Amino acid sequence: MALELEHETNKVRWPKGVRLPVVLTFEHQSGEGAPLYPGNRPNYMIGGAMQYGARRGIWNILELLEKYGIKATFLVVGSTAENYPDQVKAASKAGHEIAGLSYSFESLRTASADRERSVIRRCAGVLEGLTGSRILGWRCPDYRLGPQTLDILAEEGFLWDSTLLNDDLPYVFDCGGQRLVEIPFTTSTADKTFIGYPYPQRGGPYGLANAWNNEFEILYAESETSPRFLILSLQTWATGRPAPLRILRQFLDRLAGHEEFWFAQSTEIAKWWLDHSMVTKSEGASHVEGKAS
Amino acid sequence: MWKEKHPKQPVSWPNGVRLPILISVHHQSEEATCAFPDGQPDPFDVSERQYGGRRGAWRLLEVLDRHGIKGTWLICGATMEKYPAVSRAVKKAGHAIAGHTYAHEMICNLPAHVELELIKKTVSVFEDILGERLRGWRTCYASHNTLDLLLEHTDFEWDGSMWNDDLPYVIEGGGRQILEMPFATYSDAALAVSISSSASPVTPFSTYHSNTPDFIFNGWKAAFEGLYEMAANKAAMMPLVVHDFTAGRPSRVKALNDFISYVKSFEGVVFTDHEELGKWWRDSCSL
Repeated sequence: MALELEHETNKVRWPKGVRLPVVLTFEHQSGEGAPLYPGNRPNYMIGGAMQYGARRGIWNILELLEKYGIKATFLVVGSTAENYPDQVKAASKAGHEIAGLSYSFESLRTASADRERSVIRRCAGVLEGLTGSRILGWRCPDYRLGPQTLDILAEEGFLWDSTLLNDDLPYVFDCGGQRLVEIPFTTSTADKTFIGYPYPQRGGPYGLANAWNNEFEILYAESETSPRFLILSLQTWATGRPAPLRILRQFLDRLAGHEEFWFAQSTEIAKWWLDHSMVTKSEGASHVEGKAS
Repeated sequence: MWKEKHPKQPVSWPNGVRLPILISVHHQSEEATCAFPDGQPDPFDVSERQYGGRRGAWRLLEVLDRHGIKGTWLICGATMEKYPAVSRAVKKAGHAIAGHTYAHEMICNLPAHVELELIKKTVSVFEDILGERLRGWRTCYASHNTLDLLLEHTDFEWDGSMWNDDLPYVIEGGGRQILEMPFATYSDAALAVSISSSASPVTPFSTYHSNTPDFIFNGWKAAFEGLYEMAANKAAMMPLVVHDFTAGRPSRVKALNDFISYVKSFEGVVFTDHEELGKWWRDSCSL
């Protein structure tokens, strides 16, 4: 059973000169997450809007990231990678990290250990086949871990999970002797919160700018005295559209080129955290135990 | 059976106060987590809300401290057991402290004897962990029995469970009185997030069905402007509710910070807690 290790997060220092790491995570699917019509008929409305991400959105995003020289993390659904392999190969070739987001949007919450393991292996197998590199990270597509998911990820050689939403900083799980880094994210700044489904959209692209700028200003101020990092959860089907893409460009204009912001990939964060966060107790703490910042 | 008593309302507050703003911080973290039809808590919602106890509450404490203002912290008994350091820091900072049920249960669905057990359990958690004797209480999903139970089985001085008035009023029953200090629907939860209650089926988009920080700020600003105008010729108050897992997120805490900065410049605006406002109300109208 995965146990969260206690550590003194305030003593963690990012690499020299870095004040605030910025982690862009792009979730990449092509409609696997869209609810089907009765009789398992495809939903060309919502599913189609999500397919946009695989057909067009990811190319638009890759172009933007290349212009800024920024490396990001793409969390990819295995079947999307099979159906649209060129996009995933191009992202990997451009130096972005490729991580797992299920094989076909399976919910692992109530799955048996065998089934979870087979979903994780199948997804990693597809992605490793396309990229030629080990897949080190995972996010459950519905943001719902099963009770044994973290342990299985650790057994399968994963370095990090990014499914949880409960902290400002990474932390470490002990999974039967293996360490697994949790990189929590938030839906409070996610693109699909403001421009996604279900209707109505709340805030639109300018709402995204509002959320991202607020998030940045508070975390930047706090990072003067405490370690912080800024992580955005983005969808290739949402931010890949021209209007939100322009908002992302404007946000990057604000941050890019300043050395105090480190555009880090999830694995870079996880490795840094493992090497620099001081675990103070060998025995695990309860997952829900409170702690001061 | 309790009944309301409406003494003549005060026309103004003491000391030149025009509009008191009562910030209630609901420190409940993951207590109100949605469950799946199989009865298991939704892990997404657990994680989303745990942020409140792990981080959000600390951030709200810091914002109030930075502005040098006091509020009322409504704390679930179970949350205090899980995150005792937060409650100790709240007490040390001098905020008013009140009970917010044991685990944010849907009290309206529970029989009276269970509700009473939960009230008693919460009272003892506050005594054991904090050495705090509870004087105030809020049940968001109040039952038919809530007020009678508080009157007959506790010595609480005030309740804040009702949503039905601009100003405090008195409730009588069981041979004593309790001051009702109602709240309003311009909370961060009402403005910001779609929260599925644990009584309704879980939705795939629970707490992240959210409005923007600016929407929250504007909701508070509009409420403030209406109340401040009304307060020119009669007593008014602004009960403002924020939750640790909602307003405690960086992007949304900025809305709260900006709101406090904005209203501070208006003459006669003060931030106070339920205890102090209760005193002002009792002093200003003859009971």
